[in-house]
Amino acid sequence: MPQKALLAPRSRSSSNAPALARLVEVKRHYVMGRDVVHALQGVSLEFFPGQLVGIVGSSGSGKSTMMNILGCLDRPSSGEYLLGEVEVGGLSTEERAIVRNRLLGFIFQGFHLLPRTTALENTELPLVYRGVSRKERRRMAIEALVRVGLGERLQHTPSELSGGQQQRVAIARALVTKAPLILADEPTGNLDSVTTYEVLALLQELVRDEGRTVLVVTHEPEVARCTDRIITVADGLLRSDIWNPEVTDARAAAIAAAEARSQETSS
Amino acid sequence: MIFEAFLIALRSLNAHRVRTFLTALGILIGTAAVVVVVALGTGARTRIEAEVSNIGNNLLFIFSRSAARSGAKSIQMNLTDGDADAIRSEAGAVAQVAVWSQVKGRVHSELNSHRTSVMGIDDYYFDVRGFALKAGRKLSVGDARLKSKVLLIGKTVKEELFKDEAALGRYVRIGRHAFLVVGILKEKGRSSFEDQDDRILMPISTFRTRVSPTRGQRVQLIMASAKTRAHTQRAERQVEQILRQRHNSADDEPDDFRVRSQESFRKAQDEMLDLVTLVLTGAAAIALFVGGVGVMNIMLVSVAERTREIGLRMSVGARATEILMQFLIESLILTFLGGILGIALALSTAALLRAQLGWGLLLDPFAGVIALGTSLVIGVIFGALPAARAARLDPVEALNTR
Repeated sequence: MPQKALLAPRSRSSSNAPALARLVEVKRHYVMGRDVVHALQGVSLEFFPGQLVGIVGSSGSGKSTMMNILGCLDRPSSGEYLLGEVEVGGLSTEERAIVRNRLLGFIFQGFHLLPRTTALENTELPLVYRGVSRKERRRMAIEALVRVGLGERLQHTPSELSGGQQQRVAIARALVTKAPLILADEPTGNLDSVTTYEVLALLQELVRDEGRTVLVVTHEPEVARCTDRIITVADGLLRSDIWNPEVTDARAAAIAAAEARSQETSS
Repeated sequence: MIFEAFLIALRSLNAHRVRTFLTALGILIGTAAVVVVVALGTGARTRIEAEVSNIGNNLLFIFSRSAARSGAKSIQMNLTDGDADAIRSEAGAVAQVAVWSQVKGRVHSELNSHRTSVMGIDDYYFDVRGFALKAGRKLSVGDARLKSKVLLIGKTVKEELFKDEAALGRYVRIGRHAFLVVGILKEKGRSSFEDQDDRILMPISTFRTRVSPTRGQRVQLIMASAKTRAHTQRAERQVEQILRQRHNSADDEPDDFRVRSQESFRKAQDEMLDLVTLVLTGAAAIALFVGGVGVMNIMLVSVAERTREIGLRMSVGARATEILMQFLIESLILTFLGGILGIALALSTAALLRAQLGWGLLLDPFAGVIALGTSLVIGVIFGALPAARAARLDPVEALNTR
C-alpha cells in the first residue's frame, strides 16, 4: 500500500519544525551500455530532526541510490534535494564536498577506518578537512570518543579494536562534526547480535538526547524494529512509510542478547 | 591544509619504507648522474682554461707544414731563427716571439737514466713561457754564443736523475755529450698533455750542434704572442704575409707553414668537451626520466591500493583538490628524497674521483639547486597523472572497491 509523500509522518516531538532534508520527485537513472537503469523513479520524502529512520528494501530496490543521493555522493537525474533551505542536488563537486563535511556524517558497513591510524586520528579526519586547529580537533575527537564509550581507547589502531569498537570509532567520526544528518549504510551488517544492539542503542541515544537525524539502511528486520520510522523501497519507488508502532529498546535488547549468549555458552 | 597533506603523505611513505626507498633510488641515481656529469664538464673546462692560459696569453703557434712532394711525405723544418727575427721586427701586432726545437730521448746521470723532452730554446722562450728558476742561474747570451754544454732541468728530471741529492754542478749525458746542470726550474705542475716539469732546457745553438744536428738556423716551432686578444687575427695575417714573402712562396703555392692560435686550440677543445658533456648529460637525463617513470608507477599503485581510503576521505568532506594535493605531495617527497640523496651520492663520487684523478670535479652549488629543482619538477610531472586519477575518483565507486 504505497503512501503519498505528503502523508509522511512528521516528527512526533515537534510537528511544526521545518524539514531537515527533503526529496522532491527525485529520479535517478544510469546508462549502462545500451540500457537505461531506472534506479529511482520519483521519490519524495521529508526527514525531520530527532528521527531514527530505517530504510529497508531488497537489493536493487534503489535504497542504496537513495542513500548516495541523500549523502551528496551522487546527484539526482531530476527532482530536488533540499538540505535545510539549500538545494544541494545541483551543487558542484567541490560544493558537495563541503556539504558532506559540514552537514553529513557517514557510517559504513565495513567501518572504513584508516589502517595504522589511532581511534583519535580517525575521529579527527572530518575536522582536518574542515580546517579545525590541531588542538581543537583533538578536544572534539576525545569528546566524541567518550560519547561512544571509547574514552579509554583513544590511541588504539583499528587492528587493536573489536568490530563493535571499530564501528563505534566510525560513529564518533560521524558525530564529531556535529552534523545534523547521519547516514548509516548497513551499520550492523558485520556485527554479532549483541554488538548490533549496542550500536543501535548508541544511535537511539544520539537521536533522543541530541536531536540528530539518523537514517539506517538495513535488510535485517530486528534492526528496522529499533527505528522510529520505517521506509520501504521497492523498484525505485516508496512502497511504504510508516511509524514503527513498537520501537525496540536496543539497550534492553543488548542486555537480553548478552544474557542469552552467556546461557548458550554455559549450557 | 598543505601541512596536513604533507603529514598524510609522510605517513603513507613510512608505511611502505622499502618501496619508498626503491622508488627514490631511481631518482637518486638519475640526479647523481646529472650532477656528476655537469661537475665533470665544468671541472674539465676550468682545468683546460687554466692550462691554456698557463701556456701564455694570446699565443700563435707556427709550425712547419709537412709538404707532400712527388708522393713522398716529408717532415721538413722550414722555419728559421731569421723568420722569428723578421716577425719580431716587422709584425706590428706581435708583442713577443720565441723559438724552440725539441726531441724526446734518454738522458743519463751517474745514478740513473730517464726518458724526457730535451728542448733547445732562445733567449725569449724562458720568459714567454713563464718559467722561473728554483736554484742556479738562467741560460746566458754567452752560453748561446759558445754553444756551451749547459742545461736547466725540471723537477721531475731532477728527481729521476739525482733522487734527493743536489743536482747543481753535476753532469747529465745526452748522446755523446755531457752537459753541466746550471739551474733547476721551479715546479710548474701537470697539464693534461704533459708533465711540465719533465723537461730539460738548453740553448738552441747547443741543441742544434750537439743534440739534434740541423742544417742552418732551423727551428721546429715559432711562438708569437699578439699584443692583446683583439690583435690575434691581425697578428696571424701579418705572420702569414711575412713568412710567405721570406719563403718565396708563389701566389698559387700553398703555405709551407701553419699558424694556429691559442684561441683555435681552445675552441676545438671546448667543442669536443661540449659534445661529450652533452652526450653524457643526455644519458643521465634518460636515467632521471626512467626514475620519474618509476615514481609514476608506484604512485599509480599507491592510488589503486588506497581507493577505499580516497573514497572515505571524499565522503568526510575532502575536496578533489585536497586529494590531488595529497598525492602530488607524496610524489614530491619521493623525488625530493631521491634528489637529496642523489646530490649526496654525487658529492661522495666527486670526492672519490678527485682522489683518483688528482683533479677536481667542480660541484657547482647552482647545479645542485638545478638538479634538486629538476627532481621536484619530475615529481610534479610524474605525480600529476596518478594524483589526478585519485582526485577524479567517484566517491561511491571508491567506497565500494573490493
